[in-house]
Amino acid sequence: MRKVAIVGAGITKFGRRDANWRDLVVEAGKALFDDVPNLDRNEVDSLFVGSAYPERWANTAHVAPMAAELLGIKPRRIVAKVESACQSGAIAIRYAWLSVASGLSDVAIVLGVEKMTSKFMNLTQSTMYIVGDREFDTVNGFTAPPFFAMVAQRHMHLYGTTREQLAMVRVKAGEYGSENPYAQFNRKVTMEEVLKARLVAPPLGLFDCSGITDGAAALLITSEERARKYTDTPVWILGGFQRTIHNSINEAGEIADWLSLRQLAKDVYDHFKITPDDIDIAEVHDCFTISEIVEYEELGFCKKGEGGKFIEEGQSYIGGKVAVNPSGGLLACGHPLGATGVRQAWEITMQFRGQVPRKRCVAGAELALAHNLSGLACMHSIMLYSLKKP
Amino acid sequence: MKEIRLPDTVPLLPIIDPWSQQDPEGPDSTRVYEFYKNLSEGRLTVQRCKKCRKIFYPPQPACKHCYSTEYEWIDVPKVGEIFSFTAMLLGFPMVFETFAPFVIAIARFGNYPENGVQIAGMMFDVKYEELKIGDKVTWDILRIRGPGEKVRYWYYFKKL
Repeated sequence: MRKVAIVGAGITKFGRRDANWRDLVVEAGKALFDDVPNLDRNEVDSLFVGSAYPERWANTAHVAPMAAELLGIKPRRIVAKVESACQSGAIAIRYAWLSVASGLSDVAIVLGVEKMTSKFMNLTQSTMYIVGDREFDTVNGFTAPPFFAMVAQRHMHLYGTTREQLAMVRVKAGEYGSENPYAQFNRKVTMEEVLKARLVAPPLGLFDCSGITDGAAALLITSEERARKYTDTPVWILGGFQRTIHNSINEAGEIADWLSLRQLAKDVYDHFKITPDDIDIAEVHDCFTISEIVEYEELGFCKKGEGGKFIEEGQSYIGGKVAVNPSGGLLACGHPLGATGVRQAWEITMQFRGQVPRKRCVAGAELALAHNLSGLACMHSIMLYSLKKP
Repeated sequence: MKEIRLPDTVPLLPIIDPWSQQDPEGPDSTRVYEFYKNLSEGRLTVQRCKKCRKIFYPPQPACKHCYSTEYEWIDVPKVGEIFSFTAMLLGFPMVFETFAPFVIAIARFGNYPENGVQIAGMMFDVKYEELKIGDKVTWDILRIRGPGEKVRYWYYFKKL
């Protein structure tokens, strides 16, 4: 396997954008090409498009060749659209990494893009709820917020996690999101705002949920042999795994315990011979405030059941045990499904380069973890990134 | 100049119809059609493998444990316990918005997981504030009428 690095990264403003799917592709492409002035686009031999549901939200299918044309590239090794719901972007990175590592591709673009907002937000929700088992589970009226609300109920019931601890996750997200100009909600929020917000699915209110968002992000990925041609600061993709052990509610067991993530994290730490203490930055999938609390536990940053205490003690802030979501996470950045995983890699790249505002810069960071989940927390992936060459 | 005229409405298409799968012109529409037939006869059922004797749900045409295709349909016990619950107050998908808001619960029936199921269900006659984990619930049949003369069947939970 060849060593693989991110050598370029670009992003669009996330939010309710006055731009369509195609516009977002071009905007992210422009940002990427501006970031890598030495790139001759003829060198790009592969394209991986992470985009969950353009068929529904952009009324467009077979988007990979369209994206290639919009980017002005003519890929000749792999051209693919990758769908994995909320982690479509993360899985697109995995495939690009694999293809470059194997030697099939030399220079690949990963493009994460989603257009979710429109006048018909009920259509957006109609698409979000089929991500679960629509025929037997989510037909009972639920999209993501009710499911994660039920996770929160269980977590509070079993471990004594408090409503205030959930809110603290959102306050932290606002703290860093206010320093991220690309974030959908780039302002600070107070405890009171979070606690008094309109309820979506109790106990979760509007601020406990990530946004419905338009946005795109792009990466240039290549092998060790070519990396220095494009950048002085390659971000090395160490790799990672993915795991699913159930899909339906009936097979989920205790929904406050994410066994697949617990097993996945152990698997990754063992394979790469690291411990959770070695991680400097964790960009995790905080689609809801409760998600981040469960992730602290299953990723091994604290003991099971102590996620609430972990945020209360400030351990997930920069300067704490591990800097979790210094970007502002999904809660502040918003969550354009296909773009989110790519946005996390963009964040880690900018952190390693020291190109983020000082207040949210994790000084001296050398090892970062990106975590994503999809569906009713039934599938997880982890990717490790390193500033040092492996 | 030539003009074309577009319709103001279109039928409820399968891609936005929550119960589209059980809209059978006949049993050929799904291999687990019996699940829906049982609902129409007042029974909420799950499959039990005739070979390994294990229960499995959601329905599928082979046992997910031993992959035998020999199975029988057994009734879900009438009394279960709330495992978790919430209410859907904002962000409704199409169709659901016509009868929202409502409570959603996950309940366990029987001796889960060995000999029982953990399933989600809507609750209509109770407020979120009136529920707690561990409350006893029962399931009942939900008749879904429309569009037009169409009638289909699902289930919902009631607090005991």
